[in-house]
Amino acid sequence: MNISKTQRGRAAAAVSLTAVLALTATACGDDGSGSGTEGSGKGEITFWDNNGGPRTAVWTEIIKDFEKQNPDIKVKYVPIPIADVQSKYDTAIAGGGLPDVGGVGTAYLANIVSQEALEPVNERLEGSALKGKLVESMVESVRAAAGRGDDIYSVPTSANNGVLWYRTDLFDQAGLEAPDTWAKFYTAADKLTDAKNNKFGYTIRGGAGSIAQALDAVYGQSGITEFWKGDRTTLNDPKNVAALEKYAGLFKKTTPAADVNNDFTKMVAQWDTGTIGMLSHNLGSYQDHLKALGEEKFAGIPAPVGDGGTRVQVSNPVDGLGLFRSSRNKTAAWKFIEFAASHESNSKWNESAGAMPANTEAAKDPWINATESTALAAKTLTDGSTKIVDLPYYLPDWNNISKADNEPEFQKLLLGKITAKAFLDDMAEQLNAANQEWNEIGNG
Amino acid sequence: MTVLLTEKSGTAQRSAGHSTPPPSSRRRPGRERAFDDVPRWQIYLPLGLYLLFTLIPFYWMLLFAVRPAGSTSLVPWPMTGQHFSKVWNERSFAVFFQNSMIVGVATLVATTVVALAGGYALARFDFRIKGAFMLALLCSQFIPGALMLVPLFEIFRNLQMINSLGSVVIAETVFQLPLSIILISGFIKNVPVSLEEAAWVDGCSRFTAFRAVVLPLLRPGLIAVGSFAFVHSWNHFLFALMFLSEQDKQTIPVGLNTLIGADSVDLGALAAGGVIAAVPVVIVFAFIQKWLITGFSAGAVKG
Repeated sequence: MNISKTQRGRAAAAVSLTAVLALTATACGDDGSGSGTEGSGKGEITFWDNNGGPRTAVWTEIIKDFEKQNPDIKVKYVPIPIADVQSKYDTAIAGGGLPDVGGVGTAYLANIVSQEALEPVNERLEGSALKGKLVESMVESVRAAAGRGDDIYSVPTSANNGVLWYRTDLFDQAGLEAPDTWAKFYTAADKLTDAKNNKFGYTIRGGAGSIAQALDAVYGQSGITEFWKGDRTTLNDPKNVAALEKYAGLFKKTTPAADVNNDFTKMVAQWDTGTIGMLSHNLGSYQDHLKALGEEKFAGIPAPVGDGGTRVQVSNPVDGLGLFRSSRNKTAAWKFIEFAASHESNSKWNESAGAMPANTEAAKDPWINATESTALAAKTLTDGSTKIVDLPYYLPDWNNISKADNEPEFQKLLLGKITAKAFLDDMAEQLNAANQEWNEIGNG
Repeated sequence: MTVLLTEKSGTAQRSAGHSTPPPSSRRRPGRERAFDDVPRWQIYLPLGLYLLFTLIPFYWMLLFAVRPAGSTSLVPWPMTGQHFSKVWNERSFAVFFQNSMIVGVATLVATTVVALAGGYALARFDFRIKGAFMLALLCSQFIPGALMLVPLFEIFRNLQMINSLGSVVIAETVFQLPLSIILISGFIKNVPVSLEEAAWVDGCSRFTAFRAVVLPLLRPGLIAVGSFAFVHSWNHFLFALMFLSEQDKQTIPVGLNTLIGADSVDLGALAAGGVIAAVPVVIVFAFIQKWLITGFSAGAVKG
């Protein structure tokens, strides 16, 4: 039944109005590459916390201290869930609305830098009270991760370090020594497994974040200390292939079968609530273990030492604070960065997070040695006994290659659908291509 | 007029409700016998197992929410409210809950009102591009929200609507309208147009006839569309994350994600947050499930 005819004039007017509104609404958008201004050094600045939630309390305290010291500046704190921080930055870069200051990890620093959203801070650091007071290796990490020569795009605030957590009560019962070598690690994984009674020696990370952990185990065992040999990666070196075969072979033999989907949340939860001997994670989960197991039942040591007698581990992401180009109040934003990276604030933040401070004075504070795992990690990073394999965070494709492209492949490896060699060959090929592309556009 | 409307409503209800044969008349005798011959345990065992499979994750969530930190007990005893207190007071879930409720209710109202108008137009009017429009509505269901994120972000930013709950309400409404319009349209088609015509003859305007005659018969459809809009916007994470930055504007799904840190997760708080997020949805479904099923089946199958 046809009740009414379309009125063409009205429809045309509606379409025209919609088009005008749409054009108006989408006009004049500025992306993150705008130059911004130094501003007056007063007023409001916006700060995005890249690990919003767990760190909200300590940031609130630091901001309160800052505003007390700088009554003319107000900091608007925005907590961003860590899992979505990169997409939040990407959307804001494309659509506008970036903050003045943002937390930026080296894992995605290159991606943001390549979109011209961050401002180099070399000159500001030169004239800052922070000059000479930041841990050199962390400054080097953020410089290298940005992939823009000498330019530094983030003021480092903290670093994490891989830790092999183990259940001291289970090790004592089984008469095992601390797993400080890879040989002891494999022996303990085997000895502590009693699958029929739901007891396992190790929990492997098969889901999100699996690649970095697997690479840590691979280079740690092979003893290879460089990621690149010329313009080709060492990833698929036969020694690494053998190491990965051994590591992936733990799956289902000494680990729960459900580990194939393990992200850090599941992995930590099942270690804290079950009877699993060892867990590879980092300093950040210390508080979770402490709450769940109590101080007496667990301990954490740095990555095991390989057969060659040297500890080799892959570089861990360094967290920092970036100053965004589009900021209209860079003077105030920089003041906040300086304050957050200063001795007192940096110490306070890292003590709360259980991470390694970037401020050299904060790194000497007594709380560092109060926890054995943190003290050992600090020692490992500073005493020169550990060789660090620098992962190519500077490649804009690194995140895609190490996550979306290869995490599903790693699951296939665990399930026996592909070999360790095929997995590493494929990933090496992708990295070589990404590196070649990066060199070709003049970065190498 | 009252008598006429009552009669017509009754007719329409019969028409809408009984346009398919009653369930008993649809059953074939052999099929009914076969059903009766089946031992009860063969029906209840699979159902029970399915129920168990569905409820265990909920039990696990409740267990973690009320169990003290560090406890490995499989029963929720001793109980503690510390996790609820923590997320509600310290992690701003009171504010997130309020914001989610505002977004949910506003999306419900906006979606229902616009879907009613759109559904009525599709059901009652013929126009040249009607087929293409329906196809476009269906196709729009295949476009993921993430794809529209940047343009939407830019539009809201230029309209000064970033950090406003209104931006999330508009985005949620827009993305839920296609399905809602299709559902409502199907439901309106089941109401005989002769009912409206009778009301016009009695002197009603089109709007009055719609309000007095058609609208009361659409209750199951409206409940289906409204609850779907509410639950979807209540649970939706992406738009709230992208369009709302200030903490006092964020919603429950974003709040839940902030309970998972880079290297650590407070499982008790996460479970308590999950319970808080689930309660309104469970309550909504408990009250409207009868109408929801009627609404979806009538709107979808007959549309």
